[in-house]
Amino acid sequence: MTAESAARFEALEDQAERIMGVFARAGYERVAPSILQPADIFLDRIGEAIRSRTYIFTDPDGQELCLRPDLTIPACRIYLERNPKANREARYAYNGPAFRYQQGKPDPLRPREFRQAGIECFGVADREQAEAEVLGVIMEALRSAGLRGFVLRLGDLGLFRALLDALPIPARWRERLRHSFWRPESFHAVLQRLAAPPNPLPDPEVAALARDLDPNDVDGAEKRVGDFLDAGGIPVMGARTLSEIAARLLAAGADMREHPLSGDVVRLIETYLTIAGSPETVLRDVSRLASEAKADMGEALDRYSARLERFRKAGIGLHHARFAADFGRQLEYYTGFVFQIELPGQGVAGQIAGGGRYDGLLAAIGGPAGTPAIGSAIHTERLLAARGEAA
Amino acid sequence: MTSQKLILGIPSKGRLMEQTADYFAARGLAMVKTGHERGYRGAIEGLDGVELAYLSAAEIARHLQLGRIHLGVTGEDLVREHIPDADERCDFLARLGFGKADVVVAAPEWWIDVASVADLEEAASLFYRHHGRRLRVATKYMNLTRRFFAEKGFVSYRIVESLGATEGTPAAQTAEVIVDITTTGTTLRANHLKVLGEGVILRSEACLIASRLAEWSPASQAAETEIRNRLAL
Repeated sequence: MTAESAARFEALEDQAERIMGVFARAGYERVAPSILQPADIFLDRIGEAIRSRTYIFTDPDGQELCLRPDLTIPACRIYLERNPKANREARYAYNGPAFRYQQGKPDPLRPREFRQAGIECFGVADREQAEAEVLGVIMEALRSAGLRGFVLRLGDLGLFRALLDALPIPARWRERLRHSFWRPESFHAVLQRLAAPPNPLPDPEVAALARDLDPNDVDGAEKRVGDFLDAGGIPVMGARTLSEIAARLLAAGADMREHPLSGDVVRLIETYLTIAGSPETVLRDVSRLASEAKADMGEALDRYSARLERFRKAGIGLHHARFAADFGRQLEYYTGFVFQIELPGQGVAGQIAGGGRYDGLLAAIGGPAGTPAIGSAIHTERLLAARGEAA
Repeated sequence: MTSQKLILGIPSKGRLMEQTADYFAARGLAMVKTGHERGYRGAIEGLDGVELAYLSAAEIARHLQLGRIHLGVTGEDLVREHIPDADERCDFLARLGFGKADVVVAAPEWWIDVASVADLEEAASLFYRHHGRRLRVATKYMNLTRRFFAEKGFVSYRIVESLGATEGTPAAQTAEVIVDITTTGTTLRANHLKVLGEGVILRSEACLIASRLAEWSPASQAAETEIRNRLAL
């Protein structure tokens, strides 16, 4: 559906020029990442909603490639190529096609080939400063393109992480909850399972073996698992190793000795995820929840307040902003502040731009751990359509 | 669709073809080849408004999807695999009681820490940390697999397309897990694989299916009614 008519092409080009002008004046260098990308990086990191819609193919060398479904990861790869240690600040802007399969009838507001115009900001240690900057630049770009009447939807995955860290939960259970956070149904199932007396191993012999393994003797555990398989005449095959199986059985054994999650903790997590409202009322609600639970979320809450302060200083109006604790569940690489810019009441067609912090992504694609990174992209076809309607 | 006739797609070979012919014959609908014996056209004796098209089971699914045939007999697994919105494009008129096979998720028997599909995600994320790559799932049912795993919250895998001997892929180290059809489980056991708990994706059998996208003329509608009456549907 990309610009199938000359008039539409010119309108998109004209709009892109204005947006890219704003990015350039804000100090963002224009980059042009490859359209063809290695499939693995995407499939590992991007989350099911987009994973299943990515165009993947194998080239004659047997390499798995994809048409980029998004420009953030390609921009990250350019940053790491130029700066493998990820120790310098960099600001990139781009405008180019991305590709996602769309089920059902063709819909001009959900094209399978669409253009993203966006920015990515790497290595800025003052995180709240970078967040205010990126959000401010994107809002200015939208205004320069003529968009009016949009609202802000905000979320903060750092708050959720801080809540889990502050609660009395075994580390591997926290990991399990974090891992399933992106899929609300699985998340709920995991939470329920951790709140019930654990029965991870239906086979009584395997359960007895897991209960008996000594957590302080990993080598011994591996040997016992090997003996168990030998005794049953079960052959070991394939790429998974005995040590992986032993590690999982050790964790299952530990789970069996653990007290299930208390009803209070389950309710607290569920209550947290229902918190929504203006950024200020949410700050109050989360603080109250934390103090009632005697959960120390101090640092994350300080960052949250500092961010609001930076937004005010940057002139980002928050009277139309709505924060929701469970917002941010769409893209798995986000780690902190997330936002979406929407025209209210228009569903998907009204989701004009989105972005967020993704501090774990560079490490996941081969860079050093903990590199601060945040970015945002505009869905340019939707922006054009929204302006057309307003005019 | 050159004629006004109803076109019925029938499996062109193997057990499925024989059982289909038996099923129809037992209900008074004898199938005969027209033209050359090795040709791909046929008729039902006494039903002039029906033309048979002998096709591979997978082609029948694709033809139903596009409305190139009115009716077809094929496995539900193929229809669900090839037609993402099968319930919008097709009507399942009858389950025929043969061609039964379950599409299942199976893993090596020695994975004693993995009892059910719900355990795969954690095993896979540990696998990723140890090997730096995702767990591979070998299957010819790419769409069924993706949909099923998405529902189950299993995401840390990649699919390896397998067009034959899927059950051998874990031993050959070209995949770790498989999604395949099984009837008795004998082949799986012989390959030291086990069906995981909650791992039945689909209990499939041969079905008589109508395509909503075909051109339904009054004549073909009448022929369909006649077939349904004879089959007591």
